[in-house]
Amino acid sequence: MKSDDIVLRIENLRKLFPAERKIFGKVKLFVHAVDGVSYEIKRGESLALVGESGCGKTTTGKILVGLYEPTSGRVIMEGQDVTPYLFENQKGAERYIKEQYLEKFKNPPSLTDDFDKNMYDLYEKFGKNDSKFINHFLKDRKKKMIEIRRKVQMIFQDPYESLNPRMTIFDIVAEPLNIHDIGTAKEREDMVAQLLEEVGLSPAETFMFRFPHELSGGQRQRVAIARALILNPSFVVADEPTSMLDVSIRTGIMKLMMRLAQEHGMSYLYITHDLAVARYMANRIVVMYLGKVVEMGDIEEVLQHPLHPYTKALLAAIPVPDPEYKRGEPDIKGSVAKPINPPPRCRFYDRCPLAGRECEKLPHPDLIEISKDHWVACHVVTGEVKGK
Amino acid sequence: MGRTVLKVDNLKMWYKTKMGYVRAVDGISFELKEGESLGIVGESGCGKTSVSMTILRLLPENAEFKGGHIFFDDGNGSVDLVSLPEDEMRKYRWKGISMIFQAAMNSLNPVYKVGDQIVEAMLNHFPDMSIDEAREKVAQLFQLVGLDPKRMDQYPHQYSGGMKQRAIIAMALSCDPKLIIADEPTTALDVIVQDRILKEMKKIQQKLNMAMIYISHDIAVIAEVSDKIAVMYAGKFVEFADSVTIFKNPAHPYTYGLMHAFPSVVGPKTELTTIPGEPPNLLNPPKGCRFAPRCPLATDECREREPEYREIEPGHWLACHHPIERGKEVKFDEK
Ligand SMILES: Nc1ncnc2c1ncn2[C@@H]1O[C@H](COP(=O)(O)OP(=O)(O)OP(=O)(O)O)[C@@H](O)[C@H]1O
Ligand SMILES: Nc1ncnc2c1ncn2[C@@H]1O[C@H](COP(=O)(O)OP(=O)(O)OP(=O)(O)O)[C@@H](O)[C@H]1O
Ligand code: SF4
Ligand code: SF4
Ligand SMILES: [Mg+2]
Ligand SMILES: [Mg+2]
Repeated sequence: MKSDDIVLRIENLRKLFPAERKIFGKVKLFVHAVDGVSYEIKRGESLALVGESGCGKTTTGKILVGLYEPTSGRVIMEGQDVTPYLFENQKGAERYIKEQYLEKFKNPPSLTDDFDKNMYDLYEKFGKNDSKFINHFLKDRKKKMIEIRRKVQMIFQDPYESLNPRMTIFDIVAEPLNIHDIGTAKEREDMVAQLLEEVGLSPAETFMFRFPHELSGGQRQRVAIARALILNPSFVVADEPTSMLDVSIRTGIMKLMMRLAQEHGMSYLYITHDLAVARYMANRIVVMYLGKVVEMGDIEEVLQHPLHPYTKALLAAIPVPDPEYKRGEPDIKGSVAKPINPPPRCRFYDRCPLAGRECEKLPHPDLIEISKDHWVACHVVTGEVKGK
Repeated sequence: MGRTVLKVDNLKMWYKTKMGYVRAVDGISFELKEGESLGIVGESGCGKTSVSMTILRLLPENAEFKGGHIFFDDGNGSVDLVSLPEDEMRKYRWKGISMIFQAAMNSLNPVYKVGDQIVEAMLNHFPDMSIDEAREKVAQLFQLVGLDPKRMDQYPHQYSGGMKQRAIIAMALSCDPKLIIADEPTTALDVIVQDRILKEMKKIQQKLNMAMIYISHDIAVIAEVSDKIAVMYAGKFVEFADSVTIFKNPAHPYTYGLMHAFPSVVGPKTELTTIPGEPPNLLNPPKGCRFAPRCPLATDECREREPEYREIEPGHWLACHHPIERGKEVKFDEK
């Protein structure tokens, strides 16, 4: 296993939700939940996705497991473009291939940032025949969809809602095996038992035939983790898996997830609004604000030397478990807006203490690597314009 | 030192259920002076909300008062709230002791303007007050909690979560309480909003010299707002001291575990402690020390005999047979 092996890369991912309902005419207002974000996750690495409520964390996760279809952008898994398989129906997948590739390949090919040379070569190999190219992706679409759902799993925030109350613990954990038709009845039972022991529900026999309401919150979250791991995924989206749990139980789950990641060579996208938890669960961090990535990089580096004014404010606002610690004042104005048809300028402009006059006119800043694996999107921090 | 506003003495309140009694408040004692803030920390279900509801005597039908006293002094002499008839007690709620309830954000009535709801609450307690006076006071309170007074004439749905929470705080302050009980007032809010509300509450509490009880499961939040901290476990206080002592020299193994279970964004990244097992069921709490099944220091004595809650040094109360010595490390057996 190479350490720089990239498990997942998302490129310019966007998800817009209609913000109005219309019977006649076109919807013009959209929530820009995820608005052109790109980052990658290496094998065995955990990436924390943080930011205030509504910034697009869960939406990102749901796209990766196929619960939401992306509006545009690509999801590359282990080197393969898997985006066509994130669409529920064939039409969506076709539209994606046309928009993402074919339209850019027309003569002369548009050499935009997201022009993919390898794909173009493939297109030429097919004699620039559109339907052959499309068919290449769609011929075993169903199989690919199943494969991806197997490789990527999601653990949800609320252990009370995410488990079917009418199923036994055994059935809940074994269900993915049934769906993917893996193992005999006996083998399934052994796999479930072993995994329940591994997540600390021991002895497994005493838990297998209980129902979710007969378990505590911490135990339910362990069941949800077991269910997510039974198919041996290479990638797990964990959406605030400990925020509903008690402190004394929370650290147990955090440690369990870390240990399992190591033992199974898994990577996490660990979604949380708690930077302190992020620090314990991840090697790298992505800070989002209203659908955009504002800062990312090595987690200790970003927490020790935050650069973006939003990250700074977020860090300064976190209560510190030490009564003698004197915390600074978060420097930020107003409160989060809803990202409906935001103006093209920097998303943070209205709340930014640094904003210079030019920030209003310039487009939203690109993410720039300021030092090794420390990226920031701010015209002023990168020295492009003068701030206040 | 100021006047003692609240003195709770061996308070007991149990819930009666089909399966038996849930011993949610099981012999709790503490004192609070004016201008002081007490943080109560403890895990979900340990009885934090029950303690405050017992003090306010706002209890569900299956709650049974099992003994103790609640002496409250609003400046006109101390009264035992336990022995007051309900109509007398009503005079103390809001005016003497007011409360910000857990999940209060959703308790504003959606069909009335926010300002009117507060005015209404004030007129109920101060029948001599005119509407104009009340509105003037609400405008001042809005400013105090960082809301634009213009927003008085808006409806709750026009407020964000953080704004609603500020309005609730304004309402809780409207009758000049001597004691305010805040039950998880910022849980579910974003950190930046939480930060503002915590700071405002602390400022207001000091400015008005109120006593405050602040309930949270988040010790970092408690660290910010409290002078004193009570650590609650399974219906009882197990440790009580000034906040620096609780954080730096906890004597109870549970307190120690809690303090080491919290990640922080500042300082070196240290190992986090996991306390094995889960809190006991309050229906049939174990005999002896209730923490014994999870405690690394437990002995036969602990399992047999309940430790007495006593003052081990001035202002530092503890219920444990084997207090942790200053600076000693405790290892929890993790699984
Ligand atoms: N199914 C949907 N339809 C319409 N809008 C949606 C939908 N799902 C999410 N949104 C909107 O998209 C934005 C991002 O939501 P998302 O749930 O991804 O936020 P989040 O970062 O996970 O927030 P939180 O911390 O509160 O969970 C929000 O403005 C939200 O209201
Ligand atoms: N009306 C009731 N009848 C029976 N049991 C109850 C009732 N209300 C609360 N309880 C139980 O009493 C115990 C204490 O509950 P309480 O709400 O005081 O806990 P808490 O510390 O405030 O918890 P949280 O942090 O979750 O708010 C819990 O075990 C709870 O299940
Ligand atoms: S680009 Fe300008 S407005 Fe945006 S964060 Fe930087 S300084 Fe603030
Ligand atoms: S009394 Fe015994 S079991 Fe209870 S906390 Fe103290 S040492 Fe642990
Ligand atoms: Mg979310
Ligand atoms: Mg409560």
